[in-house]
Amino acid sequence: MLTDVMVYASEALMVQIRKDLSLEQAMNVATLPGIVGSSLAMPDIHQGYGFPIGGVAAMDCDGGVVSPGGVGFDINCGVRLVRTTLEEAAVRPRLRDLIDQVFRDVPCGTGGSGFVKIGPRDLDRVLVEGARWMVKNGFGEQRDADFSEAGGALEGADPAAVSDRARERGLPQLGTLGSGNHFLEVQYVEEVHDETAARAYGIFPGQVVVLIHSGSRGLGHQVCTDYVKVMNQSMAKHHISLPDRQLACGPIRSEEGERYLAAMCAAANFAWANRQAILHFLRGAFQRIFGAAARLDLVYDVCHNIAKRERYEVEGRRREVLVHRKGATRAFPAGHREIPADYRAVGQPVFIPGSMGTASWVLAGAEGAMRETFGSVCHGAGRLLSRTAARKGRNAREEQHKLEERGILVRSESRDGILEELPEAYKNVDEVIEVVHNAGLARKVARLRPMGVIKG
Amino acid sequence: MRPRDFEVLEHPADIGFRAFAGTLPELFARSALAMLSIAADPAAALPKQQYPLAVESGDRESLLVDWLNEVLYWFDGKLIAFRDFRVTQFRDTAIEAVGMGEPRDPLRHRARLIVKAVTYHQLKIERRGGLWVAEVYLDI
Repeated sequence: MLTDVMVYASEALMVQIRKDLSLEQAMNVATLPGIVGSSLAMPDIHQGYGFPIGGVAAMDCDGGVVSPGGVGFDINCGVRLVRTTLEEAAVRPRLRDLIDQVFRDVPCGTGGSGFVKIGPRDLDRVLVEGARWMVKNGFGEQRDADFSEAGGALEGADPAAVSDRARERGLPQLGTLGSGNHFLEVQYVEEVHDETAARAYGIFPGQVVVLIHSGSRGLGHQVCTDYVKVMNQSMAKHHISLPDRQLACGPIRSEEGERYLAAMCAAANFAWANRQAILHFLRGAFQRIFGAAARLDLVYDVCHNIAKRERYEVEGRRREVLVHRKGATRAFPAGHREIPADYRAVGQPVFIPGSMGTASWVLAGAEGAMRETFGSVCHGAGRLLSRTAARKGRNAREEQHKLEERGILVRSESRDGILEELPEAYKNVDEVIEVVHNAGLARKVARLRPMGVIKG
Repeated sequence: MRPRDFEVLEHPADIGFRAFAGTLPELFARSALAMLSIAADPAAALPKQQYPLAVESGDRESLLVDWLNEVLYWFDGKLIAFRDFRVTQFRDTAIEAVGMGEPRDPLRHRARLIVKAVTYHQLKIERRGGLWVAEVYLDI
């Protein structure tokens, strides 16, 4: 099947996009059997492996394929925004204490395991129940699961589809942040653009909020590795040939496709459990510093590496498709039944992290996304520089000091991690947001600024 | 590893390496060490124990990906820090090797970068200037 590539970008972003292989990758995605509509590229698109990052592709559920690479190794890498009852002015004097406490209480997982100790049988429950299992077992509140995409757990998970290796990698890593571009950031609401939506989401100017970015850790990584191998071995049987081996796929209606989706759901649920555990530890850290006055509530949790069965109007008829979002976020508009009742009038919250030291955004899903992009928008700013290039000529201590002079504290388990995630390594998030807003895919709700960052 | 055994390759979102060796078995061993040098510091591992590793695959390129993913599983799943590898059997579709190392100590063997997986992205195994060269990209 050959279709076109539709890119959502400004002219300035297109200049950057053309510098890497992302458009070629989007063109390769356009050759996947059963693709419905265009191969879509969000404004934060950049070169990935197989699929570009910032890519969206919907497949016909009967005749189309599912590609583990179209979801990514970090299944259900995603973001949750947590609002607090605290304001910037109250937190600023104790910011260093807070960041140090959070750094102690939320493990990154680079030096060992996390603090959530469960056995293999409990892991099976986590793979089915996701965030809900964590809540039932003392790691949060029922509201946390209710205010997550998919209620914090996808149906259709089958623990038997998850290999022993994936379990072995994942079990000690439950409740850890990860490294690379994963982080936990304490922020304040700098400006509100949509007061009605902001009020519905419970956010206001000057409020301290926290953004958590993490995924399915070693469990998800191994699930994707396992099924890329399975798909590579079975493609000849299904008469599929592709321009890029990393696009390895199988028919959705095949044993391989169904098993992958069952394993993907399980890994996604593990990621929701993971982010729930991190929220639980975060609450503890805030309470240690600010006492009972610090109440933390989940605004919402969104995934940006996933494949989901959803219904859209395509060429005049409703059909179910499997939407691959590889570094792209669901953005359902007002009225959609999958949005929590509290937000249904304004649209689903979407969180777009910028880079450490710049800004992040809260958006609300809009009708344009349903019409044009299978309910999807971007997931971040998009990398501009490789990690090597970002480190060149820079000193981690100096960069950390520069951020501190701007009022941003950074605690990282690695010095390279600070350099590789500097603002200069990323595209301009405001520009990415302008594209999404002006294209009618999602509306600007609030701009958030960093106060302190924890990373692995 | 000597400096010329491998070099780091740039990628906008991830990272890769280019490994060099005189023979294919040596190339596979060096590639594993290159990956582990990105993930941590193999020199910090003591070769106290020997761990048997065996992988089969459909072709040479898949074998390299599967071999590296096997080593990554031992590092990230079984929590073994490897110092070096000795390949004992090799053909294009199968490799057997012994990994020399020890159980990972959280303080001595911290991860430098969490490597999620090995990809097929722009994967190359070829002869260049009398040497075998492998280029592999890692998802981090």
